[in-house]
Amino acid sequence: MQKILIIDDSPVARKILKSCFPKDEQREFFEEGDGTTGLQRFENIHPDITITDLTMPGMGGMEVLERIKTNHPEAIVIVSSADIQPVTRERVISLGAYAFLKKPPSKEIVAKLFADLTQYQRQK
Amino acid sequence: MNNNRQEVLTTEEKDTLQEIMNIGFGSAAADISEVINLYVILSVPTISVLNTPDLIEYIKSEVADHKNISIVEQNFFSKFKGLALLIFTLGAGKGLLSALGKGLDKEILESDPMGMLEEDLLLEVGNILVGACVGKIAELLGDVVNYSPPRLIDGNLADRVLSHDIFDPKNIVIILHTIFRFSGNTASGCLFLVTSHESVSWLKQALRTFLSQYE
Repeated sequence: MQKILIIDDSPVARKILKSCFPKDEQREFFEEGDGTTGLQRFENIHPDITITDLTMPGMGGMEVLERIKTNHPEAIVIVSSADIQPVTRERVISLGAYAFLKKPPSKEIVAKLFADLTQYQRQK
Repeated sequence: MNNNRQEVLTTEEKDTLQEIMNIGFGSAAADISEVINLYVILSVPTISVLNTPDLIEYIKSEVADHKNISIVEQNFFSKFKGLALLIFTLGAGKGLLSALGKGLDKEILESDPMGMLEEDLLLEVGNILVGACVGKIAELLGDVVNYSPPRLIDGNLADRVLSHDIFDPKNIVIILHTIFRFSGNTASGCLFLVTSHESVSWLKQALRTFLSQYE
């Protein structure tokens, strides 16, 4: 079963994101509401995919991404954010994020993203 | 007086509105950063429900130096109805102008404290930020809004805000609030969207409809 860790301070944002995944596929979701606990959970469960928000109280998603990629360069991290400025997207990708997911996500976008990701993982 | 303001929005409705404000202001920041080529640093928005008479004290408590600010105000009308107050810290106009105006004549940039260029720039930045943010929120909630022209105001904040007849002093207001900063400490400020009591019933239904897409 694929383990997905979602880090976002908004319970509604987490609910929206989870609802965008196809129901028929086997996934286990883990949720955290801030960067610090998100990192702790990452170290405990070693998720297959981490999806983090950027703007959160305390440790922001940019730092979460940086720390995960520093310690686990192979980790797949997707950034999901409402901050859609080009500079933000560039920073996120330069820090090693697999993709940038604009909020609010849609089922179509999430399905395409995960189809691409599956293909990417097969090619590795 | 409505004494049940805590019950006006449920926790989930507040959280949904907060996320929608987050998306709205994110969209606005992208628009403005494209126009003025400055990066906008965002914060987590907050949602508050207040009795109308408490509005001014709330705004004052959220704005560090409320006597030294520039305010761009703009009304928005439709089912989502209210007042946008974009509050810039003192010197924001000059900061933005100097960041943008490297090609401009130095004498123009050093003109009077609140010159025409600064005013125009704050109005334009305000218009784009408010329009993009309110427009995105309305779009997500299935509405289309109209706007009054933006106005740059100074003087007594309380007199100005409470003079709007959209706010019933015997009722409540919902406030969406976010703080922002332009890169290089060029300028900073905050945006308050104050929705009138008339919008509350529609807003609650619109939030339910928005969330139902994801159930």
